Amino acid sequence: MILQCSRIRNQELADIRKSGIKSFRDILVDESNILTWQGLIVPENPPYNKGAFRIEVNFPAEYPFKPPKINFKTKIYHPNVDEKGQVCLPIISAENWKPATKTDQVIEALINLVNEPEPEHPLRADLAEDYTKDRKKFMKNAEEFTKKNSEKRPAD
Amino acid sequence: MSSPEETPDTIGAEEGTRGESFRNEEEQDNGGQQEGGLWSSRHQNGDMKRAAAQLIEKYYFQLTDGCGNPLCDNPNCASSGKVGPLSSNEAAGKALQLFAARAKLCEVVGAKMPRSSQSLTLGSGVNAASAQGPSSTGSTATCSLVRDVNMAGASNPSTPLPPLLPQVDELSKTPGLTEETLYLTITECRSSNNYAKLRRLLWAVFSNEVALRHSFLKNPESEERSNETLVECKDLDTTGVQSKEELRALEKDLDKDLDCAEVLCVGEGAASICDGDEKENDENQSAKNAILPSALDIGEVRRAYASLFECPEMEFGNTLMNAIVQLLSDSLSIQLRAHRDAFTAIPNNINIFIILIESPALNTTDFIEGVMPKMCRTISQLPEKDQALLVKHLATWEGSRLHRLLASLHQLITIKLLTTEFSRDFTINDEDSITSATQVMKLLFYASILGGELDTPLLKDLPSEDSSTESMPLHDDPFLGVSGAGKDWAARAPPKDSLGTELGIHVLDARTPLVPLSEFYDDFLSDQLEMDRDFAYYKAGSGDKFSFLNFPFILTAATKALGLYYDNRIRMYSERRISIYQQVIEGMPANPYLKLRIRRDHIIDDALVELEMVALENPGDLKKQMVVEFEGEQGIDEGGVSKEFFQLIVEQIFNPDYAMFCLNNETRTFWFNPNCFESDAQFTLVGIVLGLAIYNNVILDVHFPPVMYKKLCSKPGSFHDLREWNPTLYRSLVELLEYEGEDMEDVFMQTFRVGYQDVFGTSLTHDLKTDGDNILVSQSSKHEFVELYADFLLNKMVERQFRAFRRGFNMVTDDSPLANLFRPEELELLVCGSQHYDFMELMKSAEYDGGYTSETSIIQAFWELVHDMSTEDKKKLLQFTTGSARVPVGGLARLKLIIARQSSDCDRLPTAHTCFNVLLLPEYSSKEKLKDRLYKAIKYSQGFGML
Repeated sequence: MILQCSRIRNQELADIRKSGIKSFRDILVDESNILTWQGLIVPENPPYNKGAFRIEVNFPAEYPFKPPKINFKTKIYHPNVDEKGQVCLPIISAENWKPATKTDQVIEALINLVNEPEPEHPLRADLAEDYTKDRKKFMKNAEEFTKKNSEKRPAD
Repeated sequence: MSSPEETPDTIGAEEGTRGESFRNEEEQDNGGQQEGGLWSSRHQNGDMKRAAAQLIEKYYFQLTDGCGNPLCDNPNCASSGKVGPLSSNEAAGKALQLFAARAKLCEVVGAKMPRSSQSLTLGSGVNAASAQGPSSTGSTATCSLVRDVNMAGASNPSTPLPPLLPQVDELSKTPGLTEETLYLTITECRSSNNYAKLRRLLWAVFSNEVALRHSFLKNPESEERSNETLVECKDLDTTGVQSKEELRALEKDLDKDLDCAEVLCVGEGAASICDGDEKENDENQSAKNAILPSALDIGEVRRAYASLFECPEMEFGNTLMNAIVQLLSDSLSIQLRAHRDAFTAIPNNINIFIILIESPALNTTDFIEGVMPKMCRTISQLPEKDQALLVKHLATWEGSRLHRLLASLHQLITIKLLTTEFSRDFTINDEDSITSATQVMKLLFYASILGGELDTPLLKDLPSEDSSTESMPLHDDPFLGVSGAGKDWAARAPPKDSLGTELGIHVLDARTPLVPLSEFYDDFLSDQLEMDRDFAYYKAGSGDKFSFLNFPFILTAATKALGLYYDNRIRMYSERRISIYQQVIEGMPANPYLKLRIRRDHIIDDALVELEMVALENPGDLKKQMVVEFEGEQGIDEGGVSKEFFQLIVEQIFNPDYAMFCLNNETRTFWFNPNCFESDAQFTLVGIVLGLAIYNNVILDVHFPPVMYKKLCSKPGSFHDLREWNPTLYRSLVELLEYEGEDMEDVFMQTFRVGYQDVFGTSLTHDLKTDGDNILVSQSSKHEFVELYADFLLNKMVERQFRAFRRGFNMVTDDSPLANLFRPEELELLVCGSQHYDFMELMKSAEYDGGYTSETSIIQAFWELVHDMSTEDKKKLLQFTTGSARVPVGGLARLKLIIARQSSDCDRLPTAHTCFNVLLLPEYSSKEKLKDRLYKAIKYSQGFGML
């Protein structure tokens, strides 16, 4: 019943796996619940290139007419991700969502956000302030935090 | 003016006889000439003094100008050559004598010429010219001003002037204005800088219904045909009626033609009017077969007005206005009252009104005060099918223009309200100008709906309710007529809205009307109206008293709610009375109230059980006054206890744990839980509670999306209702609709199987079509898909729950005028009151982040600003920061607004994370700057983006 209606997600999953984006891998899909994906974000820019971050993508039942939601399962020291792992990504906001948007575009946007924080729209104002005012201090804190909390980066 | 007669048919004795005999004489003279007979008979019931004055005028012109017939043998007609030269005074004196002697009066062409004092002073040159016959006047523009055609003209087909109609017999003397004539006159007047001629022309046409009726017609042939119909219709034989129907059927096609013609002519511009005219004619020729008698050329009318109003208005404005007043107060209005049937059988009548409402002067103060009342009165007397034609015409207008006309009507009503002294015996309902303006506003109201976007007519009304609710057990006791009266009261069908039926539209069809329907509210009128009286007139039902409740669009929801309150109270009292009679006569226990005994800790169970009993045994009892008693409490219910009861029960029903309704977090509204385990009876009871709340005048803290109220008004939900129901989904579906690529199947990969989630978060699917999973949505099927999807979400999925709910609601409200008075959005207002935007509450619950505290000066400045905002702006701010302008259940405090410091002073606008109700506010340097930035942000907050 559940699998039947997920033609588009199956297709997207195949596409995304095939495309082999370096920064997003280890995609896990619970076969019994294709509405939830897990994956590993592997950023390239410092300070986040010291680790990897597990995220969860939740597709609503009405997908693609409603946007998916993204949560960080790994703690991350980032102005645009709050302590609970919630992230505010314009491309999947209710106001901006387009049903033709594909999940790989969403993931790409997320990776860009992780690599290039946007302090203008912070969820954590204190980090954003540091990021703009005292980049050195921010980098130091973020790097330490990443080393301590993030997952191991895949070998290759 | 003579004193007003009781009916138009009773005429002052002396003048009456005189008028009678004149008419007889005229008819004899004309020897059964239809046009003449009709013309004179129009006066028999009129204001006789005016008629006498006109007759004297006729004699005067007959003496000075003659009838224009070279073969005339009337010794008192200049055309016969038997009248010596007379000065004006002599002629006037003679005319009086002839009038007194009831002398013979020729059927005069000149009679339709100007009969104003202006024409007297305008010199006899023109008149003399016309007396000499058309062949000699061909060189002057004057003759062609008015399409006077007689035998002589017809016998001279070489006449070069286009407006002259060849081969028209004498019966069809049809003076009418054409654009070309007007244009020539204007040019002439402008070059001589003497506008007298224009004034005379305007007077001649606009004060004369016949002239106006035949003005600006599509082409000569249609005009000829119209005259044939005119004759036929006069005899009211079947062919006339047939052609009338034919005419109406064709009218629709014509509208399209007109539109095309208009577009064409706009391109031509006013400068090249003659060219445009030729083109028009060509077009007419080609479309000849499709053209019908009443083909008024709207393009021509508008161009004519445009060129007219290029002239200095002081030169002609008053004349035009006076002419229209003359037209309306004189023959038209009287005929409408006396000979409505005969009058309306005349084709082209509606042209008169279309020409009038096309006037650009409609919105000037002079016009509103001087002409508008008469115009409204006349229009309001028109039969419905003519009104429907007017509506159809108005519907072709642009919204802004319709709006201006509406504003003029409001202005008229306000002026009348301010300047009239109302008393007990003369209420607003008796003031003719106000009531007729209201009636005309109704035409605008329908035009606005008709011209705007309508809901797909495909959607049929909801299937009617089970027969159980249809046939409410009425009180059949035959005693003392009381129950009879009660039955009468309840059973009286609300007046059918025949205009709407005629047009085939309903208020509920409106999606985006040309003018927002709320613009039709007249606040001032609503305030001033004595609702108790109006309600009595409404209930009396007959046509002799005007009730504004029959025109619910003009009244604000609050005023209508008052009307509904009276209705409910009266019904409660009548129920109570019946109950007392039952006690006295049948010895049954008196049960005048709907009494509910409730245990506080079992509110829902007790209430539902008690109400279920009533609903099953005697649903009529629901209409008794409700009295609630909490067990073990002393409180006597004078309203307060039931209020508390409603509040408590609503709180519980909408508790998510109860799972009858589920909450949409995005819109903060509740919707029926399609997978609810509760029985239908539960939903029926919730419906009863909602109905009881309205019936007992209690406002509930319920939050339904607007489509719920629409459905309560018997209109199923459709795709566009999704906008309020689930905005994200709606936007996505709009995206889907707007996608134009042929690769739709690949891009969306959407099948006719859709997914949805129940309250427990389980994902389910539904096939919108059989085997939906294997049918991909394509360009050709995308519209079908969204409609089916919406139908599933809004109707099919909750059909069982909603039907039960509505049945309960109807048990209480079925015979109240609720459905007639309130539109869905007003119903919502009635149920939950206007949303309360308590920003103090919001302030108290707000949290701060990034270095702000409630003490920070920018925060204090922020709240000062916010508290000073208008409700509209507050809503916008709410929309901006939280993504919805709705107050959540439990008030604004539940929002937990977070204000975070974004940066130090800068020029950036504030931003928001609607997902988490966070407002990011840079620490601006001053309050002024904050104000500027904040207002800009909420004003342009459409969409989401990085600035």
